Amino acid sequence: MESDESYIDNLIPAGMTASTKKDNDGIVQPGLTITKDSPTVSINLDNTIVSQRLTPSSSSSDVLEEGSSFMGSMHMNPRQFSTDNGMNIITNDITGENENDIDDQSDLVDQLAQSLYSYAATTRNYPKPIISNEVPNVFQETQDSDELNKQDKNFFILSSAGKPIFSMNGEDNQITSYMGIIHTIVNYFQLNNPNNEIKTIILPPKNQKFVFLNKNPIVLMVTSTRGESVNELASQLDFLYSYILSSLSERQLSRLFGKRSNTDLRNFLEVTDFENLDRLCQVITYEFYPELILNSLQCMMVSKTLRNKLHEIMSTQLVKESKFLPRGTLLYGMIVSASLNRLISLIRPKGHSLHTTDLQLLFSLIQNQFSNMNENQELWVPICFPKFNANGFLYSYIKFLPCKNYEHNKNVLILISGQKDSFFKLKLFADKLWNKIVDENLKSKIFDIGQGYKVTDVPAPLVHHFIYKAKKYVQFTMPDLEYHQSEEDSDGNPSFQNAKFEYAKKLRTYYQQLHDCITSEGGRQLNKSILNFIRWELKSNVGATASFQKEDVNLMGLVWVTKNFELYLICNNGITDKNIIFKSARKIVSWCKKNESKLFIQDGAVF
Amino acid sequence: MLQFKLVLLGDSSVGKSSIVNRFVKDSFEDLRESTIGAAFLSQTIKLNDNGKEVIVKFEIWDTAGQERYKSLAPMYYRNANAALVVYDITELDSLNKAKTWVEELKNKVGDDNIVIYLVGNKLDVCEKDSSKRLVSLEGAKEYAKEQGLLFIETSAKTGANIKETFQEIGEKLYDIKKTEVNTDLDGNTGEIEISKPSTNDTTSCCS
Repeated sequence: MESDESYIDNLIPAGMTASTKKDNDGIVQPGLTITKDSPTVSINLDNTIVSQRLTPSSSSSDVLEEGSSFMGSMHMNPRQFSTDNGMNIITNDITGENENDIDDQSDLVDQLAQSLYSYAATTRNYPKPIISNEVPNVFQETQDSDELNKQDKNFFILSSAGKPIFSMNGEDNQITSYMGIIHTIVNYFQLNNPNNEIKTIILPPKNQKFVFLNKNPIVLMVTSTRGESVNELASQLDFLYSYILSSLSERQLSRLFGKRSNTDLRNFLEVTDFENLDRLCQVITYEFYPELILNSLQCMMVSKTLRNKLHEIMSTQLVKESKFLPRGTLLYGMIVSASLNRLISLIRPKGHSLHTTDLQLLFSLIQNQFSNMNENQELWVPICFPKFNANGFLYSYIKFLPCKNYEHNKNVLILISGQKDSFFKLKLFADKLWNKIVDENLKSKIFDIGQGYKVTDVPAPLVHHFIYKAKKYVQFTMPDLEYHQSEEDSDGNPSFQNAKFEYAKKLRTYYQQLHDCITSEGGRQLNKSILNFIRWELKSNVGATASFQKEDVNLMGLVWVTKNFELYLICNNGITDKNIIFKSARKIVSWCKKNESKLFIQDGAVF
Repeated sequence: MLQFKLVLLGDSSVGKSSIVNRFVKDSFEDLRESTIGAAFLSQTIKLNDNGKEVIVKFEIWDTAGQERYKSLAPMYYRNANAALVVYDITELDSLNKAKTWVEELKNKVGDDNIVIYLVGNKLDVCEKDSSKRLVSLEGAKEYAKEQGLLFIETSAKTGANIKETFQEIGEKLYDIKKTEVNTDLDGNTGEIEISKPSTNDTTSCCS
């Protein structure tokens, strides 16, 4: 994207593009007023760009804010924004045709606008923690009786005929009218321009995004003011759609709607489906789930010897049992930590691997639905893996590995077959495999696999957290999240119940922005190799009644993409020397490469 | 050791998994996730054959009640020695669903090959508040009699009649097995698997 070029500077060794946002001083003054707090509902149906100039009343320089999508949703002290130029364009991209018209900066302005009213409405002056943990949109339209409007994110799923199927928030009577509007908008564009469906609407005041996914006979829409990119929201919709397919399969779906286009799909979805959809929405909305934007999986950190041993046992057992288990019966097998959703080991046919989305769906199904299973149950579950084959079902043999002393640490053996009556064959294989694992004294080792590692275990000073993705293996690794209870308590706000969620939210937003700056709106990576720095700044002010001054925020993040890996990194506050940061980044990369066999499943047992 | 295959059928949320859980683990969870697909479990019980102890192993298919898995059901009941067709005595519709299962079993498997046990679950709810009962004991009993089914009302929550039900199935299947072996009807083909090669001598399968 063009905007990135303007950030280039030459601090970093040749061969890489280093960019950072330069800082201009520009302090937002109190008293700024912005007329409308709620989204404008009028939609410009011509494919136009709405430009709007924000003129801060008492500041001469243009202001922009980086990183406001998480900050902007909270009321905070005045802050300092920085930009290269003061382009204040707010893009209203309604057809999706003009994806590229959406400029990074328009987001920034939107976010700024949001943070401005945040400020204007702030009545409290006492200092906040450096990174505020407040609930989004806390003082927005408190008189609004409509619970739905208070939500900063909502997912809607409806049929192409306009019948509601699912929504994350809201009661039936509330959402029905929304569904009608979505239906109308989608149809309007379909009628007028059948080849170019509506993808996105962005409403300037709150940078509220509406992203559509039309998968006739199903339409999905998400609305959010949380600052995710259009691309990320679209991938979330695809994830939910994939779930529906995993439960029904595309064939069944088109059969249902083929008979009658006004079929009410809710009659064909089960309670478990709604629970799962709810859970998926919760995970992608409130938890730190980088699997989705990185499109990859996380592995358990396992010693090389243990992993190799497991794979060796799997391979030899498969050869041994070949007369009971004819070739083609077993498609895919794995041992997974059910408590952490991470892979431990893998057996797969040569040249084939399952798509990460399919595995993510499988893992979340296990985590959501089978958590109260015990080890004397074995499950046989038909699942459609939409990215593997959206029209058919595969059958999964699922067994929680028996281990009495590790109640909290559940591991699951999953064997996948295309034959619906192969349960007993797979069971026999599973039993023998497990006996072998017990014989080789690997059982306790599997259950002793710890949580992971801490950022301090990596010899990269001044780094707060990082994500390293090994492109070759479609897997990523990151240090365990460490969050502190005190983080929220210091604010004294009782609404902060869950430090984990707040921390997840913070990290998620930082990583979102790091990821956004290397991705085009179309979802493609901008360059084969990129090195970007992002700087988040927030100047604390001395309020009239403030008794002390809090620490300024001056946070740097780094994205480094090469053909082998992607590294996303967040530094400790106040670390702004790019050379130092880059040095740490290199250390992380070399640490990850050195520990590759522990951090990732490189091949698995291939047959 | 004798092995019998058992399948549980019935509408969703009538308590099939809870019944199995009570039988296998002697525990109960108020909030249970719906079964997806089917779960396979096994449990052994002891029978008393004129003072001689007989161990019977049940291999149990606990199927999902959800409509979408219906097409997979034949896979589970095809080789079953016994089927527990479960309904919820506080839910009239669930008895109708149970009746369709009974019919399906009779058509596809045949009376001679499978013992069908009609089980009305959630007795505890009605014991607390008799107005909750929507399926009368007499009506269900009458139906079971007509169809030649075994019948009982149970509570997975309190455990009432759960063990007894499985015990009775075990005895019934054991009796059938014994007469089969004694009269040498087709000998040892098929429905009942015996871990050791069986002979006509009844003692050999009771070790």
